[in-house]
Amino acid sequence: MTAASSLKTWYWVHKWSSLVCTLFLLVICITGLPLVFHEEIEGWLDDGKPYAVVPEGTPRAGVDGILEKARAVYPNDVIEFVFMDDAEPQVLVGMSPSHEADFDTNHFLKFDAHTGDLLKDGGPQSEEKLSFMGIMLALHVDWFTGLPGELFMGLMGLLFVVAIVSGVVLYGPFMKKLPFGTVRTERSARLKWLDLHNLLGIVTLSWALVVGLTGVINELATPLFGLWQATDVARIMAPYKDGKQPPSSFTSADAAIAAAGKAVPGNEVISFNFPGNRFATPHHYMIWTKGSTPLTSHLFTPVLVDAGTGAVTTVAHPPWYLNLLELSRPLHFGDYGGMPLKVLWALLDLLTIVVLGSGLYLWFARRKATDARVARLARELTPALSSVRS
Amino acid sequence: MAQPYAGLRLWGIPAILGVLTCFGLLAALLGTGIWHLMAWAALAVPLIVGVWFWLFPRR
Repeated sequence: MTAASSLKTWYWVHKWSSLVCTLFLLVICITGLPLVFHEEIEGWLDDGKPYAVVPEGTPRAGVDGILEKARAVYPNDVIEFVFMDDAEPQVLVGMSPSHEADFDTNHFLKFDAHTGDLLKDGGPQSEEKLSFMGIMLALHVDWFTGLPGELFMGLMGLLFVVAIVSGVVLYGPFMKKLPFGTVRTERSARLKWLDLHNLLGIVTLSWALVVGLTGVINELATPLFGLWQATDVARIMAPYKDGKQPPSSFTSADAAIAAAGKAVPGNEVISFNFPGNRFATPHHYMIWTKGSTPLTSHLFTPVLVDAGTGAVTTVAHPPWYLNLLELSRPLHFGDYGGMPLKVLWALLDLLTIVVLGSGLYLWFARRKATDARVARLARELTPALSSVRS
Repeated sequence: MAQPYAGLRLWGIPAILGVLTCFGLLAALLGTGIWHLMAWAALAVPLIVGVWFWLFPRR
């Protein structure tokens, strides 16, 4: 391929990969801004009771007692999962009318981790997802359509990655004769925005590539978890298949948590799915532990605890693709390096919005130039045509 | 003939910014304390370079 035809091919790839994904990427970037600060925003919007002020070192309330309170409030509901936050002194209990019910019917009760008091009795997901942050998340992830939307937005993310790579290839020939940071402001608006598009594109390149790729991996969470359940979890479940009934009453959750913690020394229990929940099994608590180093605190090791006997069935060390998914979360969310990292994330996101917007403008401006050229040619032809007619 | 250092002139600064970005992203993930400070500093460089040449462009 000659240099000219290869340049034309890369230009074609860059134009079409960007054009198809730009509007979705703009929505992703704009909704991503509040999502970067979701913990802070949810803290401000939270209308629940405040946490009890307790002296340092106060032990946490038992989970069994909290679950009993949750069941007393909703005696006809089942418990789906329990999340023990390590950033906030809270225990979240997720409940639903039945384990088969749609996720929209799930609702959360927030308890104080120290006193065990109910702080907030949240509405069902069908309402929560229409809150401000719920809408931001849906527009960012799946447009309220679940898996099809996740896969579609994942595809848009993949096109974004293609646009970035082809953009880097084009940066070479475009900037060959210009020093870094050239912005030609005097000649025309189009030239100025072309230079700015190149400049801001190349400075945000690595960040956008990482956030784009990890975003695509995050959109694959549902199929990746499905694959794990169909393979590793299915193998663990095989001995329970032949007619074994799920236990009629479950052992203490506190005891199950303690057993899981002992099974993975050095790890801390962060949450668990109740037996019957779609992420657990009918026979087991699925207890999620995380490591204690900065890196391993993002990597989760699930422990299956038999809900009938309270004994650890197995430590289900996750396969590489779940570790990849778990590492893709912090690298996409930007929530792993304190408030300054979140601010940097938001500012780099803003620059990416400028790159997307200027790219769109350049395409429009070029079209306008082409249209004007066609119109001029047409005008030049008209007298000739009329002279032929007369 | 390609000029000597032409590639370096074209790709030198983008490469440095790329290395700084990757260092910042990983430093915040793998360390705490001083590593977070270095991560913030490293990730701020591409941002500052972009805004700087936007406000004070080379013509």
